[in-house]
Order: sequence, then structure tokens, then C-alpha cells
Amino acid sequence: MTHPAERFLDGLGARPQGFQREAWSAWVKGHSGLIHAPTGTGKTLAAWGGPLADALENPPRALAWLWITPLRALAVDTARSLDAPLDVLGFDWRVGLRTGDTSASARRKLRDAPPPAMVTTPESLSLMLSYADADRRLGRLRGVIVDEWHELLGSKRGVLLELALARLRALNPGLQLWGLSATLGNLDEAMETLIGPGRQGRLIAGDLRRDIDVETLLPPAVERFPQAGRTGLVQLPGVIDALDRASSTLLFTNTRSQAELWFRAIQSVAPFADRVALHHGSIDRKSRLDAEAGLRDGRLRCVVATSSLDLGVDFSPVEQVIQVGSPKGIARLMQRAGRSGHRPGQRARLLCVPTHALEILEIAAAREKMAAGEVEARVPPAGCLDVIAQHLVTVALGSGFREAAMREEIAGTRVGRRLGAEQWQWLLDFITRGGPALKAYPDFRRVEIDADGVYRVKDRRIARMHRMSVGTITADASLQVRFRRGARLGHIEERFLTRLKPGETFIFAGRALRLERIRDMTAYVRASSSNKASVPRWAGGRLPLSTLLADSLLELLERCESGRTLPADAAVVAPLLAEQQRRSALPGPGRLVVERISSREGAHLYLFPFAGRLAHEGLAALLAWRIGQRAPRTFSLTVNDYGIELVSQRPVPLDVPTLRELLSPGQLLEDILAALNASEMARHRFRDIARIAGLVFQGYPGRQKGARQVQASSGLMFDVLSEHDPANPLLDQSRREVLEAELEFSRLETCLTALAARDIALTDPGRLTPLAFPLWADRLRGQLSSEQWEDRVERMLDRLDRRPERRTA
Amino acid sequence: MRIELAGQILELLPEGAVWWPAHDALLVADLHLGKDQVFRRHGMALPASVLDGELERLDQLLAAHPARELIVLGDLVHAPPEPGENWPEVVARWRRDHPGLAIGVVPGNHDRALAPQLKSWDMIDLGARHERDGLTLMHETNLDRPEPGLSGHVHPVARIRSGAERLRLPVFARRDQHLILPAFGRFTGGYNLGDDRHWQCLAAAGHRVVALG
Repeated sequence: MTHPAERFLDGLGARPQGFQREAWSAWVKGHSGLIHAPTGTGKTLAAWGGPLADALENPPRALAWLWITPLRALAVDTARSLDAPLDVLGFDWRVGLRTGDTSASARRKLRDAPPPAMVTTPESLSLMLSYADADRRLGRLRGVIVDEWHELLGSKRGVLLELALARLRALNPGLQLWGLSATLGNLDEAMETLIGPGRQGRLIAGDLRRDIDVETLLPPAVERFPQAGRTGLVQLPGVIDALDRASSTLLFTNTRSQAELWFRAIQSVAPFADRVALHHGSIDRKSRLDAEAGLRDGRLRCVVATSSLDLGVDFSPVEQVIQVGSPKGIARLMQRAGRSGHRPGQRARLLCVPTHALEILEIAAAREKMAAGEVEARVPPAGCLDVIAQHLVTVALGSGFREAAMREEIAGTRVGRRLGAEQWQWLLDFITRGGPALKAYPDFRRVEIDADGVYRVKDRRIARMHRMSVGTITADASLQVRFRRGARLGHIEERFLTRLKPGETFIFAGRALRLERIRDMTAYVRASSSNKASVPRWAGGRLPLSTLLADSLLELLERCESGRTLPADAAVVAPLLAEQQRRSALPGPGRLVVERISSREGAHLYLFPFAGRLAHEGLAALLAWRIGQRAPRTFSLTVNDYGIELVSQRPVPLDVPTLRELLSPGQLLEDILAALNASEMARHRFRDIARIAGLVFQGYPGRQKGARQVQASSGLMFDVLSEHDPANPLLDQSRREVLEAELEFSRLETCLTALAARDIALTDPGRLTPLAFPLWADRLRGQLSSEQWEDRVERMLDRLDRRPERRTA
Repeated sequence: MRIELAGQILELLPEGAVWWPAHDALLVADLHLGKDQVFRRHGMALPASVLDGELERLDQLLAAHPARELIVLGDLVHAPPEPGENWPEVVARWRRDHPGLAIGVVPGNHDRALAPQLKSWDMIDLGARHERDGLTLMHETNLDRPEPGLSGHVHPVARIRSGAERLRLPVFARRDQHLILPAFGRFTGGYNLGDDRHWQCLAAAGHRVVALG
């Protein structure tokens, strides 16, 4: 008998692929599992086929399937593509939609007459669990499908979902869980996290041999001294040529500011200026949807985008994808390439535009790893007491829970598996009375234990506040940008806008805008013709070079060093590498290069471990601190993805044994905490943790006047807890998280361990080398000193006092 | 740091208070006592020792200066106590430890309906505008046209930076003959007056007060 999904494909003139059949049959047998395949290869139907067949066999009379999508912006498109086979197969229902954008009345309708299947987000699922009838409404679910699981896996949103899924599994032990994922380096872990450790699952591989052509747009001339941080706009003519050749193009940049610049540049020279659009996370939702639609129906020739378009429902007619700058990782390269030729069997094409010479090498390195089938892993976060606390309150607010059963449920998840008895007790104390000491938090009421031993939330104010705070995403405060009377343009972070004065000009949403005034969380602007406009720099967004790609890069350098041939495009960089080798040495998998130079500025020390920007931040701070312990001095530090620069007034006496001591992985954690004023960093990090755990309440900006009285600053909370409850595990969590998030601590640890086994080439090149130059050019990022925070305050005040500057020495 | 305000000599203390030698008086603003309790009521976990901490800091101030009078420039409390709450008793006990001290309160917007409470704490309501030696003591001033006197309410802070380092400090803010005190309560937010060119900021930091900008 033909599978119903096959009948649907028949109508499209297509035939099912092997992995789709495999998934359908696994579904009938009641399995759970993970389907992994590149974007646009038919994963959706592979997962949806099971429920379709089931719906024909046993028509559901309640909500039977949930389809979880990571972005609510994708939900509409997802529902539409799930609806497509329903008509063909003669169903009289449609897939429902419940996200943060769903109106209250639509939500009520979904409650009163639930459709058999519903598309929703992790946060909305959590919210559904927080209602008293959660058991009844979600207890008859037959299956949950998590789309783009790789996007959620590495984040706390993934943890929140993991816990919610455990809840659903507890309601119905026969529940089927399926994940859809791009290719990952840790697929087993990805599946285990989704379906619960120790449970049987099926790992189904899609068509992995999808061909991707990666080309590099070589610049007219390759400079001998590459400079990172450039926009790459010298490559504009070549990009315009490429745009001309394709009927539709998606141009990706790595940052929003770069997207703004490239959009302006293309618009000002391309003959099809009116058929170019801009798409990034800060742009108004309507304009983004317009851009997506324009791409879909062929109205637009080119959309300039950031990672905001990395995810998404298949829109086939993109003929070509251009990536400006290095993709910084293999997974990202594949993801973006997958946006083109979006049909099974079609080749995906990606044109990479390097913004400096060494990126030519990065692109070649990424291509080689991709060809070898290697991809980065996404590691799920550990600990996460904040998320677990939030989940416990959510369940207490919904159906309520008993301790023993809940303990078992949480222990059945990856994140809860290693939760010790002590941590569990703290969690219960935290939600019921604020903390372990009985008298420490008088009149605290959040979760109460009723006479039957069931944990419940009774206070309606607390219920309302909790529902408003469900989720793990904390956006920076952002202001709406709009014309005085009229169009909304999008949102910009408050930090950038408040630095501008009225009358100043900035570029946003592809236009030059003059700031008129800021009022009620809105920035009013008017169009400007000024050319001297600043481009907002959005926080975050810049990913460090992945470990896998960095290793591949070192292998390429090694190949060059030993005189073997480089890939054709990378060969243009050969003269630059020869120069590096002549003046100093080439780094490689077995060799760390360290260079010493002196200049009028002082003594420069360069190291090239190739461990990525974040780990280098940690390494630079660590080195400066360790050197300072031997003989106090002040350094200025600069890092990039390849290496670090330390500049001091007097040279650091160094030989290879001393370097080995300075780079030893022993005492790493202690030293890094001492070096980095980690508590100040943790204080900042604490914001997210405090909000997720329900320690602070931020409400909605511009609304909820009544609740404003209880809006707290997490910075204050951090200070208060550090002072009065220093053992609070959330403080410790924020310290650990800050090290991992800001410095990739575990990567730094691995890097130092690896360095111990590498040769060290200590050279005195006399002048800057090609690898050192970009660092030298990016100088003056941070001053590090080995003083205490108090001393730093005093020193800053000294400077403000205009006394002569005091050096650490 | 000593300043002169409408002919009166005032000493700005790094703890965020003002010493007025002519009256042997200490002035503080915006204690927001009981704010932690409001948060606890709403299910947010704040340690009880927050209140003890604030009172202890007042004790240290009183021990260091021979004060006969303590004047609070508004927002003594964050919200009136609810029945059954224990913290007013903690404040009352603290009050009994300072029998010789007169405590006057210029009520602020958070001190609504506090009259019975003030009475039980043996504190005097000085009224919304209290004149003394040419200075008006009030809770809230007009930031564009401040009159000679002292106030609180805005919790002024300034952001300063030097190289890559950044700091946010509570400040005294002065314009003409008016001085705004920083919030004395530690568990309070702040409003950045540091970039306002009309106001001169004096940072209360560490062990001294420093003029900024």
C-alpha cells in the first residue's frame, strides 16, 4: 500500500527518498528519534508523514501532535507547509498556530476547539504547561516534532524544551518524540537530549551527499598585510557581477552593521537598486516578511541578510548564495549554502567573499572539512539551575507536582541527570521559601505545598508575573525606531541610541536617518541625506572561529610549510605565507609561533595558538596576569581569531621553558578568575540567570504600570546576594557561565593542554609579520592590570582627579 | 568634601549622606526601607538581612558624627507595611537604640499614608517643604529650575569610563544652589545625571567624594 505522504508527493511529481520511507516506517512502529539532513532535502515531510498516516488510520479527537519551531517568525510558514498535504489527502482540518504573536481570542479558540496538530514555540509550550488544565489538554498528545533542533540544542531554550518534553512524556509514556536537525558533530548527544538519556531512538540520516559548490571571489590584488575587521567592500564590483549573473541571490554577512553597509553599497551601484532588500534581526517584522516574500515570488533580485535568515522554511527560488567574510565554521557554511538550489538533487552554490587575505585560507579550509564530512558539535549547556527552577514553578502553577515523581522526571533528562541531592533540595527551598535558611526570606511566597504534599502556586499575582517571564531569552533593552508620523523601521539597542544626540545621523534599515528625539521607548527619526552617518554596532553576533575550522586552517599552513600544494584559490595567499615563514615561522598543528618585536610603543609579544577570539581573550588575560605575578607591569592586550598581542613598556624576559610555564594548564581556573575581575563580568551575566530563575521581574517595557514597583535590577540583586547569601548556587552558576560564554573556558583548557605538546618557535622577526600586522592594527582594546577592583576604582578616580597616572609597578 | 550652599557649609560624605555642622544634623535620602519585603511578597527571593544592612550603615554614620538630628529627604520606606509583616518592628527596635536622636522625615512619594507608622517610630513629619536657614528641604525638585535647597528622589548616578573600564557610581548632583543626594538605600536603581551638562556630579565612592567632569 502506498503511504499517504507518497500520494502527496505523487501529485507534485516527486518520489519519496529512502530516508523518508525509513522515517515513516519508524513512526508506525512507535519509535522516537532524530532525522538529520541538510536544509531543503525533505526533512519536513519525513517527519510529518507519520502523523498523516496515523490521522487517516485513527482520526484524533483532541490535540495529538505538536510541531515545535525555534522562531515564531517561522511558525506561519511552517503551518502553511504542513497544511499542504492535508487537502490532497482529504482532511477537513488545518494545522493550528500558537506563538507569542497569537491573539488572546485565537488562543481561546485553540483551547476550546483544539485542532489535531499545532505549531508552537518552546516558550509557548512552557506557557501551556502553566495552565491548570495542562494535563487534560496535553495528555492525549501522540507525538511531538522539534524542528531545527540543532538551533535549540546548544542553548537554554533547548534546556527549557527538554524539560517540557519530559513533562509531556510523564503525562503519556508512549509519546513519540522526533527531532529534525542539520548535520552535527554530536548527533547521538543531540538525540539523547531530545528523547531522554537511556531511551531507545532511531537516528535517520537524510541525503548527506548533497553537493555543495563553494567558490571564492578572489580580490583584484592580495595584500601582503591582511587587516581584519574590514568590510570587504573592495570586492563590490565582483559581487555586483555575480548578482548580475543570477536571477536571485541571498547575500549573507556576519554582522548587522556589515549588512547595513553592504546593502547601502549594492543599492547605490546596482542597476536593479529597487529590487534589493535588507533583512536582519532588528528590522521591523513587516519589512522582514516583505523581504522573505519578495525572495519567494521572485520580485527581489537580492536580499542582504544576517543569521536572521539562517533558519527558515524552504523558499526555493534562490539561485545563488553569497557569503561575505569567513563563515567561521563548517556547520554555518553548509547551512548557508543550503539556502540555494533548495530542491532535492539540485546542487547548492555558495560564493564566498573574503574580506582579508587570510580569510581566503579560512574558506579553503572550511571547504576541505566539509568535503571530508566533518561538522562542529553543539554542546548542550550544563547546570542550568535557573531553567530548572523556572520549569518547576511552571509545573507548580499548572497541574502541580509531588516531589518524588518530579525528582524522577527531572532525573530522566540530560540536564537533570547529574543533579545532586543537595542541588535538588536547594531548588525546592528556592521556589518555596527563597533559600535554604528558614528565616532568611520572611513572607516569601511563590510555590506552596498543600495539605496533600502537592507543590502549587496559589497567589494570582505570582501566577501572572511568572507567565509573563516564561522563557530564557533576555533581549537587551531596545527602542523602536520610527518616522515622526508613520512607518516603523525596527528596533535598535538602547545602548547605541542613547549615545547619539538629537540631530546626529545613523544608518539603519538601509537608510540614513536623523535622530529627532527619544520618547516613551521610541526613537523618532527623519530621513537624512548626510553621508557622515554612524552604523550601529550590535552587541554579540560575532562568532569565533570554530575549533574544527581552526584545526583545518593549521593543517593548510602545515601543508604550505612542507612545500605541498594548496587548493587553487588558497594558492594566491602563498606569497603572504612565504613572507611569514621568511620573517618568522608558520604556525601548524604541532607548532606554536611566538614573536617578539620592539617598537616606539614598547615591547610587543605575539602568540598564534589559533584557538578563536574568545579563548584568546582568556589566554591574553591569563598570560598578562601570570607575567605580572613575576614582575608587575601593565599590558595592553589585543586578540583576534588567530592569536594575541601583548604590549608592555619593558620587554618580558622570555625563553622557551619560561613560555611553557606561563602557558601551563595547571591552576588555570584559579588564575583566570584572579586575572579577569570575573565578578564584574559575572555580575553582568547574572542578568539572564536572575530573570530565568525568577529572581528579578522585568515585566514588559512601557506596559504593566502596576508591576513596575517590583521591577528589579539584576545588578542590584547580584550585589545583595553576594553580600547576604554568598553561597547561593545561582551566583556560582553565573561565574561558570560567564567563563564559558565570554572566554570559551573549556576550549581554552583544551588549547593549553594541546600547546604543552606543541613545539614552540620563538622568533625575533625585527619587523611586523603578516600574522602580527592585523593584531597591531586593532590595538588598544583593553588594559589589564593585576589589581583588585577597589584599586581599579581608585585608579580611575585618580585619573579623573587628573593626577599623573599610576602604573601597576 | 565641603561645599557651600546658599551660605551654609555642608559636608558631603562618601557614604552618600550630608553632614550639616550648624545643626549637628545628618541628612540622607531615599532609604526605601522594606523594599526587599515588597519583592518577597511577589515571590522574588531576597535575603532578610538587606534591612539589617541598611540600618547598620545608618548606625556607622551616626557613630562617626555627633548628630542630634537625622533628616530623611523622602522615601523612607518603599511601601507601607502590610499586616503581619515583621520589618516595622525591626525598624522600631533600631529606633529605640537611638533615644537621644531626633528623626525628621520630609515625606516622599513612597511615604504615602505613613503618618501612623511615623508616630509609632517616634519620627517627626516635617512636611513636604521644610525651610531652614535659607535652604528648602524637600523630596523632589524641578530639575530644570531647582531652588536653593536639598532633595532626593532621582537617585542620581553617573557613568564614568577610563580606557576599557566602566563604572557606575552614585553621585551628589549640584545645580546652582541646589543639591540632590544619592539614594542611601543600597537596593535602589539610579538615574544617570552624569551626561547632563547643567548638573555637576560629585561621586560618592570608596572613601572619598570626587568631583567629576
